[in-house]
Amino acid sequence: MLISYQWLRELSATALTPAELRDRLTMVGLAIDAVENKETDSVLDVEVPSNRPDCLSHVGVAREVTVIERTNLRLPVAKSFKTAGNAAELTVVTIDDPQLCPRYAARLIKGVKIGPSPEWLVRRLEVIGQRSINNVADITNYVLHELGQPLHAFDFDKLSGKRIVVRRARAGERLKTLDGFERDLTDDTLVIADAVRPVALAGIMGGEDSEISEQTTDVLIESAYFDANSIRRTARRLGMDTEASRRFERGADRENVINAQQRCVELICELAGGLPTEDVIDVYPGKLQPRSVTLRIARVKDLTSLSVEPKEMDRILTALGFAKQSEGAEELVYIVPSWRNDVEQEEDLIEEIARHTGFEKIASELPPSSSSGEYQPGEMKQRILRRALNSFGFDEAINFSFIPREGTDLLGITAEAQPLLKNPIIEGSAWMRSSLLPGLLSSLRHNFNHGNRDVRLFEIGRIFNAKTAGELPAESLSLALIATGGALEEARVLAERDLDFFDLKGAVETAVELMNLPALKFVRTAAAHLRQGQSASIGLASGREIGSMGRLSDAIGNAYKFRQPVYVLELQLSALLASEETVVHYSPLPRFPSIVRDISLLIDRNTTFEEVVRDIKGREVQALNEVRLVGTYEGANIPATKRSITLRIEYRADERTLRDEEVEETHAQLTSSLLKTFAAEQR
Amino acid sequence: MSGIEKDLNPTEQVELAHKAFEQEFERFVRLTDYQVVLTAALTLEEALAQQRALAEVRTRHLGKKSALAAARKLIGKVAADERPAFGQLVQQIEASITSLIEQAERNLAELIELNRTALESIDVTLPGRRPRRGHAHPITLVRERIEDIFVALGYVIEDDREIETDFYNFAALNIPDNHPARGSQDTFYTTDGFALRSQTSTVQIHAMQRRGVPVRMIAPGRVFRRDTPDPTHNPMFYQVEGLCVDRGITMAHLKGTVAEFLRRMFGPDTVTRFRPSYFPFTEPSAEFDFSCFKCKGSGCRICKNSGWIELGGSGMVHPNVLRAVGVDPQIYSGFAFGLGIDRMCALMYGLDDIRLLFENEVRFLKQFS
Repeated sequence: MLISYQWLRELSATALTPAELRDRLTMVGLAIDAVENKETDSVLDVEVPSNRPDCLSHVGVAREVTVIERTNLRLPVAKSFKTAGNAAELTVVTIDDPQLCPRYAARLIKGVKIGPSPEWLVRRLEVIGQRSINNVADITNYVLHELGQPLHAFDFDKLSGKRIVVRRARAGERLKTLDGFERDLTDDTLVIADAVRPVALAGIMGGEDSEISEQTTDVLIESAYFDANSIRRTARRLGMDTEASRRFERGADRENVINAQQRCVELICELAGGLPTEDVIDVYPGKLQPRSVTLRIARVKDLTSLSVEPKEMDRILTALGFAKQSEGAEELVYIVPSWRNDVEQEEDLIEEIARHTGFEKIASELPPSSSSGEYQPGEMKQRILRRALNSFGFDEAINFSFIPREGTDLLGITAEAQPLLKNPIIEGSAWMRSSLLPGLLSSLRHNFNHGNRDVRLFEIGRIFNAKTAGELPAESLSLALIATGGALEEARVLAERDLDFFDLKGAVETAVELMNLPALKFVRTAAAHLRQGQSASIGLASGREIGSMGRLSDAIGNAYKFRQPVYVLELQLSALLASEETVVHYSPLPRFPSIVRDISLLIDRNTTFEEVVRDIKGREVQALNEVRLVGTYEGANIPATKRSITLRIEYRADERTLRDEEVEETHAQLTSSLLKTFAAEQR
Repeated sequence: MSGIEKDLNPTEQVELAHKAFEQEFERFVRLTDYQVVLTAALTLEEALAQQRALAEVRTRHLGKKSALAAARKLIGKVAADERPAFGQLVQQIEASITSLIEQAERNLAELIELNRTALESIDVTLPGRRPRRGHAHPITLVRERIEDIFVALGYVIEDDREIETDFYNFAALNIPDNHPARGSQDTFYTTDGFALRSQTSTVQIHAMQRRGVPVRMIAPGRVFRRDTPDPTHNPMFYQVEGLCVDRGITMAHLKGTVAEFLRRMFGPDTVTRFRPSYFPFTEPSAEFDFSCFKCKGSGCRICKNSGWIELGGSGMVHPNVLRAVGVDPQIYSGFAFGLGIDRMCALMYGLDDIRLLFENEVRFLKQFS
């Protein structure tokens, strides 16, 4: 809301400069970002809170100024003018829907001379960004900005039947509004109609057909109060936002209707001539019941810690327009002014007193300590997880919770599995994700498009699963990783090798170890989105499957136009975090030396490392302490169906030093049985 | 050494050996002067060859089979009274030879070491050897810092659902039925009519229901509003809401808590300012600004020359909100506040386009620790 400093000064006689007003008004809740100095005036850009439509006017702002400066409001002095004729004999006003229009006042002025506005009026409107149209239109606009009451002037001769009907539009009715657009009306739209058709969108904009023109001589001045919700609905539906609708939407002052109209008529008589009717047609079915609110004096201090004298409380409230109804030792009762719809209860009065006493006068202190702080369960483990993945080269990603169908189809997620948004804002992004992978895949594509080919990302986030209709969707925490490109070193350009399955697996294994949770289990599996033979299911120690990982299938990779292998992992983080911590228990250090023997087996390439280890451990070989991997080899000199696996076996006894010969014998036995079991050859 | 001349007396023999040494040592003499050695610019190979040659000279002239050793054995042939003088002479010559060779050896060794270290020197400014590391998201960094501060102030951290019922997202927060925020223009709805939470105040309601009062909590989390993405808006962002309900809580406690938080976040000199404002869920309501951390209040680009940075909203919990969770506003009072984590990120890191926060480009992400 733009406020003219000079205008404000006429209404408040303020002694403050524009810059001082900016600071003082900001501190009572009318935030002012900018003061623009013009030739003969300054303009304050006031950010009016949504509960204070009364401040969408110069008088409203001036009232706040007078409370700040302890002065009195100087409302414009009424001037007398000649009148003639009885309005009721000339026109009729009917309100068909008093719910949507609680008050409608009409006054007729005959013999008006439409013409340009005087210089002062043009300039005053110009300062606050309003374009001059003609004297009558300018005067209605002027009164709106002065008193906050939207007004409308009809060309009386253009009204069929010389009458006003406030009603809902009928299906199929249309209206060409002043901005030149043809508007389709619905039965939800409140209109001002004449005997035949709508002539204005109530509280929003007039119609072109009844607009004031140079030929106009008789003018009907409308001053009304419309239901806020109705105006808001219509304005939203039609995408309109006008000076009038902005005020009605937030709530105008229905007791200001006649006063504003009187002011308007008086200015028209002065500047455009004409003879108004003696009386006003005032249809007022929705009379406002004055509200009274009780203020317990002690509550001001209880809630704000401010010590304010009851006399000062009364001064502030009275200056703001509250009328004292009764007064006791412990409480004060006030009638709320008609322009303050926002004040309903004691706390609202306390706010009025506090803001005009000054929030800066409120002490600043911590509440007495009474509780101990606490992180969310799992937060510390998540912090470890994040940092562990960071140290393995994974950057943390955050994607929107709503995603398009692209990606989810490929991942085999059905449309019904994900909650659907009724009103997405990003075209197509209407599904609440049930997997983090689609987001990471598009993040990867975004990186490729920007020339980043070596990418490691992880995301921790909420995923959603639709339940039966009408039930809240399930929400849980998920972890996903994606990796592609070279295993780069920091500050060095060339990677020694490409990232693969085991980089992803190793990162998660270490993270889980650092979180002090039991090791995850990886089992070869088939998954639609993963490449056959390079995919694993991920399970908890308990055996419960919580996710999968592997190389992204070519079908998906091609759909995203990826030209290099991509590895992905996703697991249910909620389930992982819920698993029991590993209990660390010390083992005594060995007292006797161990003997190690390596063994290389040429085995079928589908025989897993885990199978071989499990087999060895199952044999209860004497003094066998540990089996570890030395390496695997496949390729040249080895049949395509085979691979070589080299294990290091450690033998140790707890109570004595082993002799070479006995280990030799045990190991030879183990070797020959392994060769037999796995149909292997020794290399 | 063969060179014992039978017809020479022992002293002459000794002198002859000395002379022979001096003759052979001639080519090493320059090695006895370190400055000369340094300027000789011998390569490592040459120096090593010299070292070997010198070792041979040592053996030839000081070894068991050297002329000097042979001459020493002739002491029996020296007249008894001349023996001391002879002994002295031999010792003297031996010492002089040893000293010369050692000097040369020492200088050579030093030169070799110098050569070697030069060859083995490394460029210590090359990057250290480490795998590429990843980076925490700036939102995570700011959120964790906020959590740490409030845990230290005795607050519990809470979170709850992101898809919410009308009760938690609006009704319990005193947002009336016709409030614009409820419209599908501003708030996302699922086809089932549930709302994506538009503020984490929803968590306050859950937490008060779960924990009862008194309560001190903050709720950091994801919220959703139907804004078209632009440099200062995203349809999803992070927010932190705080709540403190107890007997005797006043606005002074609100001011003190927010001011303390901002001092810990932006430095001990940070000044906080409260301005009256309006929110449906608080009464009285206040917005808070803090003195610009960059210019300290004198005015700069970050604070748009005002010296103040707008940060969040706050106020005393509206009695209707307390009633919604069965708390008697005549007994308990409380304050609540909320601020945007994304906005804090933008301020702290000088971000001019917050859409970057959710694009996950590695060139962006790697700028944060």
